[in-house]
Amino acid sequence: MKKALVAALAISMGVARASAQNVITEVDVTVGQSTEDVRAAASQVRVSGDGPKRWRLFAEATWADVWGPTSDAFGSAYPYNNQLRPMEVFAEKTVTGPRFLVGTRLGRYRTPFGIYNRSDHGYAGFLRAPLIRYGGYWALSNNFLETGASVVAGTPRLQAEVSLGIPQDEDVQGRRRGFDRVGRVQASVGPVILGASYIHTQPSAARTFAQGNTEFVGGDLRWMVGGVQVRGEWIDGRSFAGTRTFGGYADLIVHRPFMGPVTAVARAERLDYLAGLRSSFPRRYTTGARIRLASMLVAHVNAIREPAYDTRVPRTSLDLALTFTARR
Amino acid sequence: MRQMVLATVCVASLMDLAGARAGLAARQREAGLTGRVEAGGRPASDAVVWLDAPGAARAPEARLVIEQRNMQFTPRVMAAQVGSTIELPNNDRVFHNVFSFNHGKRFDLGLYPTGASKRIKLDRAAVNRLYCNIHPHMAAYIVAVDTPYFATSNQAGAFTIPNAPPGEYTYHAWRSGADALQGTVTVGSDSPLEIRWP
Repeated sequence: MKKALVAALAISMGVARASAQNVITEVDVTVGQSTEDVRAAASQVRVSGDGPKRWRLFAEATWADVWGPTSDAFGSAYPYNNQLRPMEVFAEKTVTGPRFLVGTRLGRYRTPFGIYNRSDHGYAGFLRAPLIRYGGYWALSNNFLETGASVVAGTPRLQAEVSLGIPQDEDVQGRRRGFDRVGRVQASVGPVILGASYIHTQPSAARTFAQGNTEFVGGDLRWMVGGVQVRGEWIDGRSFAGTRTFGGYADLIVHRPFMGPVTAVARAERLDYLAGLRSSFPRRYTTGARIRLASMLVAHVNAIREPAYDTRVPRTSLDLALTFTARR
Repeated sequence: MRQMVLATVCVASLMDLAGARAGLAARQREAGLTGRVEAGGRPASDAVVWLDAPGAARAPEARLVIEQRNMQFTPRVMAAQVGSTIELPNNDRVFHNVFSFNHGKRFDLGLYPTGASKRIKLDRAAVNRLYCNIHPHMAAYIVAVDTPYFATSNQAGAFTIPNAPPGEYTYHAWRSGADALQGTVTVGSDSPLEIRWP
């Protein structure tokens, strides 16, 4: 923790010194309330900019907390644990030509599996992470972080990324220490972007409970034309020996000119966790909107319907959040 | 001998006169216009100033680039002549989707990954607002003008429109979030143009 905070501070100062003209500082402040009797407050600070020789430097810290019963409300991309935590802290460089692309990222970064960027999940219209990307569901997590190095190579249309590192998650129960291997191949064909990912890592549960490794393969797709985006992921694998987890989600995100400040979102998702008596089969449907109230103020509204699964009764929830963003 | 001296003096005088006229003409051709932009009493950067010049020759095509890097457009404001082509490379490791729909040219470049670049051609004079469909905070302006005489103010609010021939012009000034201004200015008068927004 201390090392990461020091690294974040060092990078921030490096950015400020290296390129005072091109330093971007961004602060998000979010407050939320859910009908699940959950209240949340969160803040993130990001500093990014160009260092020497066009190395891009990025550092992010977060603080967030929730009050109320256990829930994944508001957990779309950050941990809510009432601690000031560093998130991504890295330096990256990408060199591109008309027919090639090669880049590297060094430091602490989100696990490059599937649709994984902060901007894909954080306050982008959905207030909860997909089931397959929330740590409590025996799959992946949007709070998975790697400390290591990733290399991307290929062309703008076809590229492969390999990451080698150790897990340094910000989930309540992070993955055990070990050596992570993550790979991703991505191709773009017209408005369609297809990806395939693989991860070999350590389980997040204690060794007495979860033996073996965590291993997943996944496919993802994005299509976007005229302000209409369709995206989704499907994963299959195991969170530890003797189990199987598979599932995915499909998102529809619509922002057409006539909608003005409103972006409509919808998500359908499922997850099957096969572990004998502990098996679980959650399903969830979300509709909502992201509404830009002012240049720096955005409201999120999500209505969530969970049909009955396992021993749970059907449930309908409403999540509301306001995010204030200042950028300089 | 005397006639030769007189002839030489006359020729020299004519050459001097021609040279002086040519120099003056060159200076006038290169006169251009300098000025300063203020808003609320402070220097205003990223303001675009242009001169009406119907019939003026087109400026040579330049490769104009608005980069997407660090989740922002750079530069945030660009002025360009109608007919110019603007490259929009994605130099971030995330996807961007550049679009413009409310003024000027309407386009949607679709989702494209790092290393990819798309381009647009400015086909009419207008203020084009660019956004990214993935990152709502990203915004930029391309001010397409139908004249070769234009400039964007720097951090100190200063601007220079080079090569504008001397004469009287109608000038226009634009900056984001403010009403456009216009007036008349004489190029070659040696006094800078002061543009002030309240």
